[in-house]
Amino acid sequence: MNATGQARAARHAPENPGQGRDVFAYLRSGPFGGPTPAVAALLVLMPVALPSSTMATEILIFAMATLACNLLLGYGGLLSFGQAIFFGAGAYLSSLATMHLGAGLLPALLAAVVSGAILAALVGALAVRRTGIYFVMMTLAFNQTAYFIAYTLSDWTGGDNGLLDVPRPPLTLFGAALADLSTATSYYVFTAVLFLLVFIAVRRVIASPFGSTLIAVRENEDRARALGYDTRNFKITAFALSGAVTSLAGALYAMLLNFAPLENIQLSMSENIVIMTVIGGTGSLLGSLLGAGAWVIISDMLAEIWPRWQILTGGALILIVLFLRGGLWGGVESLMRRFSGGGAHHAPDGNPDDAGPPPQPME
Amino acid sequence: MRDSHILTTENLSLSYGGFRAVDKVNLRVKPRTVHSVIGPNGAGKTSLFHCLTGGRRPTGGRILFKGEEITNRSAHARVGSGMARSFQITSLFQNLTVRENLRLASQGRDGNRSLLFWRSVNARKEHIELADSITERLGLAGKAAVAAGDLSHGQQRLLEVGMALCGKPELLLLDEPTAGMGVDDIPMMTKLIADLGKEYSVMLIEHNMGIVMAVSDTITVMSRGGVLVEGKPEEVRADPRVREAYLGKVA
Repeated sequence: MNATGQARAARHAPENPGQGRDVFAYLRSGPFGGPTPAVAALLVLMPVALPSSTMATEILIFAMATLACNLLLGYGGLLSFGQAIFFGAGAYLSSLATMHLGAGLLPALLAAVVSGAILAALVGALAVRRTGIYFVMMTLAFNQTAYFIAYTLSDWTGGDNGLLDVPRPPLTLFGAALADLSTATSYYVFTAVLFLLVFIAVRRVIASPFGSTLIAVRENEDRARALGYDTRNFKITAFALSGAVTSLAGALYAMLLNFAPLENIQLSMSENIVIMTVIGGTGSLLGSLLGAGAWVIISDMLAEIWPRWQILTGGALILIVLFLRGGLWGGVESLMRRFSGGGAHHAPDGNPDDAGPPPQPME
Repeated sequence: MRDSHILTTENLSLSYGGFRAVDKVNLRVKPRTVHSVIGPNGAGKTSLFHCLTGGRRPTGGRILFKGEEITNRSAHARVGSGMARSFQITSLFQNLTVRENLRLASQGRDGNRSLLFWRSVNARKEHIELADSITERLGLAGKAAVAAGDLSHGQQRLLEVGMALCGKPELLLLDEPTAGMGVDDIPMMTKLIADLGKEYSVMLIEHNMGIVMAVSDTITVMSRGGVLVEGKPEEVRADPRVREAYLGKVA
């Protein structure tokens, strides 16, 4: 069952033999250590370096969805093609809450987070009853179902036209107005703060008993079960967390565009999220930011020069999968290793903090 | 009347279609002993083991652990009640360090309490301490930070048993702990199992007759799904049926 030799050879990271992956490496650096300062610096630089703050905001929103997908794929080994369900649901529900119930910004986002978690727990509870390819097919089927539900309920979702005139309420807390988010820059700052909080939270989750067990389930589910873990509960919890964050991203996206299109809940959105995760590098949280950034920037550039740009992004994906195993972050890591003394060997303690475990796409 | 045996099976059976892999087996494992099950290939040892660990649901009979019926209890729930197993084919977390393998094994006894995603893994110091003490006991202290997959085969077999120990079990189910081990590593495993028999109850499935004879308090010989002979090592060794059918081939 556990064809260890083959499985190991097939995985990436052969460059550091003798170096075991260790969650203790995360802990030594604490929630504000490791890559967190680098991420904070990037958040400050992004609106300056990029053509617009709107683009920077879009990157952060997709980076959030990518982080959530990475939690499932990179750490839990669960390839979900159902992430758009939660992204779309977050967009619709928060929009409906602001439009029909007059909900403020934070209540609307909270509603998205809670409903995303519940929805993902339900989808997860059914999907994790199967493993491998059947699990993947289940997530795909759920996504199709969700799409057609959204399409059919056009009184609520706007159907094909999407939900128009989604408001972006000002930031208020207990009735006190804190900030008006109507400008692109102020909305960027708000999104960046949320992104940093999500990033720190996901790191903390990975270094928790739950996160370390999730990695164990990915590595060897039979063994995890034999050690006393009800592995399904761990997968379902991972889904709920992933759904909550994805749904938050969806809600922020609707407020960014002032519009919640049907595309949010389409299967192609799920594909895009998975692609960004793989491009960035599974099992690396900083990679998720890189992946989302690369995807948004490349799509934007190519869309200007050629209407059939998606063919080129497909080609870019093929190149990365073929030549950059471990994704963009894997590439950055091996470059850093080359420049830092050239030695291929780390001391076991010098574990790069955020280089999570290697990918193992299906179960 | 309370059963003084830690593990009892009553007419335990497992059939695949018409084939009876385990056929009305009655076992009684005494606390703090090493109880071995031997027999030729196809005798039903592994099927029996699967029933005991919860990997397969028996098609007949009952399993009692500490006097409590566990016949239909799931594999992970059995760990919580005090059973732990090792695997015949090494089953480790290959990409994780030795220390993390053992820490996860220690944490396993917490079951669903490990779902807490907002606490640090350091919150339960006892898991790390137990992991470190087992590392020491296995003689792997110098290898704590090495990925399990990079250990030698013999060391992996030791870690395999060590992970079962981390569950603080009352009953250890060991499935061919010496499988694939080199001759040089075997004395170490023999000593470990003999030691374990003093602290825990050990149920051992093993091919290596040398180890079985050296460490066992009781031996059950299986044949065609059923129990052929049961007794102390010297009784089993002397039994003509066993000699004829099994030991003859090995010796």
